[in-house]
Amino acid sequence: MIAPAFKKYVSLARCSMQNTLAYRLSFILNFLASFIGLIAMYCLWQAIYTGQDQLSGFTWSQMQAYLLVTFFVNSMLSYYSESSITSKIIDGSVMMDLLRPIQFQKARLAETLGSCVLEGLLSCILIGLAAIFTFGISLPHDAGTLLLFAFSIVSSILLKFSIVYLSALLCFWTTSSFGIYWARTSITNLLSGALVPLAFFPGWLQSTAMVLPFQGIVNTPVTIGLGMTAGTDALQLIAIQWVWIVLLWLLGKWMWSRAVRQITIHGG
Amino acid sequence: MSLIETKGLQKVFRQAVKDPGLAGAVKHLFTQRYRDKYAVEGIDLKIEEGETVAYVGPNGAGKSTTIKMLSGVLVPSGGEIIVDGRVPYKQRMENAQRIGAVFGQRTQLWWDIPVRESLSLLRDIYQVPTDRFKKNLDVFTELLGMDSFLHLSARKLSLGQRMRADLAAALLHDPKIVYLDEPTIGLDVAVKHRIRDFIKEMNRSKGTTMLLTTHDLGDIEDLCERLVIIDQGRIIYDGKLQEVKDEFARERTIHMQLSSPIPDAEELFRGLPEIQVKRSGDSLEASSDTDLSIRFDRFRCTASDIVKRVMSRGEVVDFRIDEPSIEEIIRRVYDGKLDSAALSAAGKGSA
Amino acid sequence: MESNIRVKNSPWRILYLYWRLYSQQLKAMMEYSADFYIMIGAAAMTQITGFLFLWVVFSRIPDIQGWGLWEVAFMYAAIYVSEGVGSLFFEGTWRMLRLVNMGELDRYLVRPVPIVLQIFCTGIGMNGLGNILIGGSIIAISLSHIDIAWNLQTIVMAVLLFASAMTIRVAINLAANCSAFWIRSSGNAFPIMVHNLGEFAKYPITIFSLGLQLFISIIVPFAFVSFFPAAAMFGKEPWSYWGWFSPLVAAYFVGLALLILRIGLRRYESAGN
Repeated sequence: MIAPAFKKYVSLARCSMQNTLAYRLSFILNFLASFIGLIAMYCLWQAIYTGQDQLSGFTWSQMQAYLLVTFFVNSMLSYYSESSITSKIIDGSVMMDLLRPIQFQKARLAETLGSCVLEGLLSCILIGLAAIFTFGISLPHDAGTLLLFAFSIVSSILLKFSIVYLSALLCFWTTSSFGIYWARTSITNLLSGALVPLAFFPGWLQSTAMVLPFQGIVNTPVTIGLGMTAGTDALQLIAIQWVWIVLLWLLGKWMWSRAVRQITIHGG
Repeated sequence: MSLIETKGLQKVFRQAVKDPGLAGAVKHLFTQRYRDKYAVEGIDLKIEEGETVAYVGPNGAGKSTTIKMLSGVLVPSGGEIIVDGRVPYKQRMENAQRIGAVFGQRTQLWWDIPVRESLSLLRDIYQVPTDRFKKNLDVFTELLGMDSFLHLSARKLSLGQRMRADLAAALLHDPKIVYLDEPTIGLDVAVKHRIRDFIKEMNRSKGTTMLLTTHDLGDIEDLCERLVIIDQGRIIYDGKLQEVKDEFARERTIHMQLSSPIPDAEELFRGLPEIQVKRSGDSLEASSDTDLSIRFDRFRCTASDIVKRVMSRGEVVDFRIDEPSIEEIIRRVYDGKLDSAALSAAGKGSA
Repeated sequence: MESNIRVKNSPWRILYLYWRLYSQQLKAMMEYSADFYIMIGAAAMTQITGFLFLWVVFSRIPDIQGWGLWEVAFMYAAIYVSEGVGSLFFEGTWRMLRLVNMGELDRYLVRPVPIVLQIFCTGIGMNGLGNILIGGSIIAISLSHIDIAWNLQTIVMAVLLFASAMTIRVAINLAANCSAFWIRSSGNAFPIMVHNLGEFAKYPITIFSLGLQLFISIIVPFAFVSFFPAAAMFGKEPWSYWGWFSPLVAAYFVGLALLILRIGLRRYESAGN
């Protein structure tokens, strides 16, 4: 039976949405906290572009769109979702999940997607407001690009989940989640192109970033959304995203089986 | 002036009211409703130096809240508190220097460092002179049997060990007043006795004033002459333990074992007030039962009267008299079976 | 047996107690050495990627409103070092949410030691060491690239600015984390939000609107952690004299933070209600 097996994950996602609403204040504050980063970056780039027509192939208006799309992608699956996975492992409530007929990885994905719906909604509103105030933003005009863009964002969330999940599992071997979270964030931010477009990197760093999975989180949706990649090139980038999603998902499965052994050895 | 004095003491907590489910969560997003909950609602309490007072009541009655206000942890919403001439929450540090506190389930010790180190840290915090610290530590180690675990960190202690270490930590600086919130909760009998003996000894030798909340009636019988019962944030009884017993535990039950059954035993007690006769055992045939239980009001007739009447009809092989347990008395108070006006009248009469 | 000890907290006693409480925490921390290195490493990595970002940007442009790579790197690192000092020596401020929600402040409140001191010593953030090491190195390298006439005056000023900057940062952390008394949710992100305001002080504040400049100079004075000290040290007109206000701002914000703590403690509800 596929339907009931799927249904339990749907209700997990619903529960997670409900939880998000219950903690709405901290959720919104969390969101605003990252919005502060966006404002700082916006002003910084604005100052950098003073007297420059374009930098590394980006015009100022493209850079604005770049910042907004990056923020959108980054705000999906925020610290809020990530910490709900790690805290399960750190505080030992993962044991409760072992007692239930659900798969840990799928359950966490369901919960993450549940809160992503709200995160997406909220960031769409904020970005809409930001777009109204800043103008001059060039988002895709034709339906084909828009479709590819939307698809690449969904893939980006799944890819980010796979990476976050892997790093969260490392918490089985530590007593605190912060170190791992910080390390993962700094690597992801740099190599996904969230801090600065990959095109700004020196050649060696750019080619390194391109062979790693992180670029699929920000670089792929952003370059497709800005119309810098189109047609078969865009499809190829999305295909690369999916190769990584599948690979990392399987890696996650394998690591989970190792991690569970860790629990049984140490008794939780 | 009493050592501890409160007048009309109040504490209000604000609670959010939420509806269940996703719809409820969405609704709460837009309309937030709150309800004031009085945890403590007008408490007048006087405790003299050297007293040991039991402060009892059902869960959520406001016991811990009162203790936390007395110790300076919580700021009252209304009323007055004076502890040893100070207002605890205003002169927090001066108050803290003179009190000790054990908050039941939560340890005062540092989680990750050995008990001995925790105690020596507390010595610095309370500025206990070295010789006094040494003397106290020796005495406490002996009385509480702490030798075996002084070198362990708090996280590695069993509940009983932790509670003993916590008691030592609370009394290390010879406080004038000690607040004990559930000091024996969850402990086995041997540790309970050890802790009670220690509390008694400290009260006797140092004259330490003790206020303890507990659900354990052994604690009360063993330690306290005075009993304060609180329910729903109000004091419903304050008086001597013996007096509440005399006043509200009037009934006794005599259980008798007879050599042969007495049919129509009820007839024997005709003319005596408020007598209840019960035959125990599994027999349906009342006349064949040799076990007889008779409940009576000990201020209206005497045990000997009853035994005499039974003996006039048969031979009593064995007998025993039960009085209601203090648990029973307090349970009745909670259930409202006793008129609280009568209770407080009794309390005042005894004071 | 009446105890006649007056509760008098001389600065020496406070320092002694801080040392005692801190060293005990340090001993306890040694048990988790793996976390120790992960935290230090992660903090160092965050800063290195931050510096890489600046380096990539400055490889395309010569300066931002007259501020060169090393001058901006100095401000960037100043924010990180202050974060590190806050974590390494005053990490307890970040544990206030837990202290308040779990009722753990109870045991602090019954001890005759200032609450702030006990809060400070609730934990140690080893990540702070990574921040201080890498941030300190970046500051040192920055200073070597910038022409400063080192004499008694500049040295005194540097010490004064540094001490004020760290004090301001810790006071901001304390004040922000006092929100725990008002926002009881277990995932209270208000302190993080305030923490992120530090982002604005990583760059010359002239790139922001006037309102924002005033906000991070007066309301949440992150600018006195990085920008004003940098302007004073590098003699950036017309900002160079503002650095002298640093000690005043430090005093003002410490007072404000302590006031917020006091008001918060009145609202403290312990646990179990």
